[in-house]
Amino acid sequence: MACARVPLDEQQVTEPGPLGKERTLPALHPERKEERCFVPYKPPPEDGSPAEVEEFLEYARFVMEDMEWLLALPHDKFWCQVVFDESLHTCLDSYLRHAPRSLDLAALPSSPAVAEMQRSVHRVVFLTFLRMATHKESKENFLTPTVFGEIIYQNFLFDIPKIMDLCVLFGKGNSQLLHKMIDNIFTQQPSYYTDLDETVPTVLMVFDSILDKCGLQCEAAAMEPMKLNEHKQLTAMTMSLQELVDILLYLCDSTTTIHAFLDIFPAACSTFYSHGFLGRLTWFYETAVPDLEKAVRRRNFDDKGLQEDLWKRLSHSCRKMVECAHLLLHHTCLQPILEGRENMQTSAEELLQHFTSFLPEKRFLSDYDEQFPLVDDISLLQQALPVIDETRTSYLLQGVESAWDSVGRRKPSSQIRSN
Amino acid sequence: MSPPRLTGALRSFSHVSKKDDFTEQPYDLKTKRLKRQELFAREGLTWQKIVHFCSEHQDKAKHQAASQELKSFLLAAKQIVGAEHGQEAIESAAVFLFETFHNQDHVGTEETRAIRQMFGPFPSAAAEASCDCVARLVAPLGNDRVEDFVQKQSSHRSPQRASAFGRNIAFSYDCYTLDPLEGLPCAAVQEENVSLDF
Repeated sequence: MACARVPLDEQQVTEPGPLGKERTLPALHPERKEERCFVPYKPPPEDGSPAEVEEFLEYARFVMEDMEWLLALPHDKFWCQVVFDESLHTCLDSYLRHAPRSLDLAALPSSPAVAEMQRSVHRVVFLTFLRMATHKESKENFLTPTVFGEIIYQNFLFDIPKIMDLCVLFGKGNSQLLHKMIDNIFTQQPSYYTDLDETVPTVLMVFDSILDKCGLQCEAAAMEPMKLNEHKQLTAMTMSLQELVDILLYLCDSTTTIHAFLDIFPAACSTFYSHGFLGRLTWFYETAVPDLEKAVRRRNFDDKGLQEDLWKRLSHSCRKMVECAHLLLHHTCLQPILEGRENMQTSAEELLQHFTSFLPEKRFLSDYDEQFPLVDDISLLQQALPVIDETRTSYLLQGVESAWDSVGRRKPSSQIRSN
Repeated sequence: MSPPRLTGALRSFSHVSKKDDFTEQPYDLKTKRLKRQELFAREGLTWQKIVHFCSEHQDKAKHQAASQELKSFLLAAKQIVGAEHGQEAIESAAVFLFETFHNQDHVGTEETRAIRQMFGPFPSAAAEASCDCVARLVAPLGNDRVEDFVQKQSSHRSPQRASAFGRNIAFSYDCYTLDPLEGLPCAAVQEENVSLDF
């Protein structure tokens, strides 16, 4: 039995070995792991035959049974399993990769047995990740924080894609718990900030790849001369319908995931911000959204339900992009001003510069202003820093009006105020 | 197949995740069932304990009948687990069937599911024969005594659910849903003006 009030990573245990002879081992030791053979998770069949449904249920039952067993293990045995059992890693990873998101195109499982089983697995997987993100379960059961940080990082128990998956799968109803988990992970292992820093360029590449597929090459690519034998670039109007569907699903998933992550873990905003994510996002919005909207409206859909669904996904993606922009501005510029931090003057200047940079992006600006009226933020700014140049703020507000006019839309009546 | 996902791209193109090891095959259902049988056999109730329990406190005539019944039960278990398995596996299967049927008078859906999960596809006649054998074995012993015996022996195997991590955590099943800014404009196609600016 493990000794009390000593971190697990420093404990020794004496127990019978494979031949029955007593031996003393570190409490965290591969030989203390059980041969459990966790199976990977398989998602519910989309339009399943009874055999496929039965296969799903059987895999899911094993996953659930094994996770329940894992959660019932004492602290030391739990960590031995979590650190040294590769099949457990595969099982958890397969859930994050393949568990259906509520925004996936496929409908939710029609069979109540499948739905119920999916719910049960969903819960135990979350609890397993929660336990894995907790270095101190009680006064007696804990790991040294730095060792915990090393364990989760070196064994890839958490990585940036997994953390983002957790946010999008569980974040809607469990945001506070998830915030605590992710905050603890980043606090005990700051290398995750470095990983996040390495990940943001790949996130930006995703947006570039969507532009590229829609024939809307980014600035750098547009500078290169076109090769003579290069085929004519497809656009959102001319690509196959399946490609358009894939692009919109990808956009919907990407924007929802980024938003869920930034919303649950706002400390990540500064990393995204430092990569110029805000500017790239608004530029993407201005460039891609009108083309994609046009394609969804004007292409010939045999299935009108699909057309309606794609429109909703695109519109949802627009909302999420606007909300991401707001989160970035709020946590990197507005928050320091509202809290009266030392750098509030610099933050105010940055905020105004961002608003100014939005002026040419008229579609983005009007959509942003609809959800987060600029006039409100500027008013806050003026209250916090009365020295703000009024000519500049008036110019900005006029720019907002002009953006609404140029996209041919009217502000909602609730937003029209007398200046 | 999963639809295209941001995190899929991050796993493929950034260097912050463990690279997939394609040489390592994940466990399939067959391997898992064998492992489960092995774990089942290791702890808790054993065939010897069942034999002893069914035979004790019986007079000679009943003892003889119980021995015969236990033999038939093992035979039915052999048909379920597969003839290629050894005596140990057959006895372990019989233990599982005894636990499953000790308080059942017929093979219901739950029992079928449990046997299938443990052994894979099986002949239903063998399951029915097992169920009947168990019923005849436990009939003279009394329900409470049998229940008490099974619970006491099986408790060594079951995880301590009452103290499991997270039992008091309120988990929400809420999911993100589509939250569009606006619906598809009515008669969208007709609204579009065809450009005549040649």
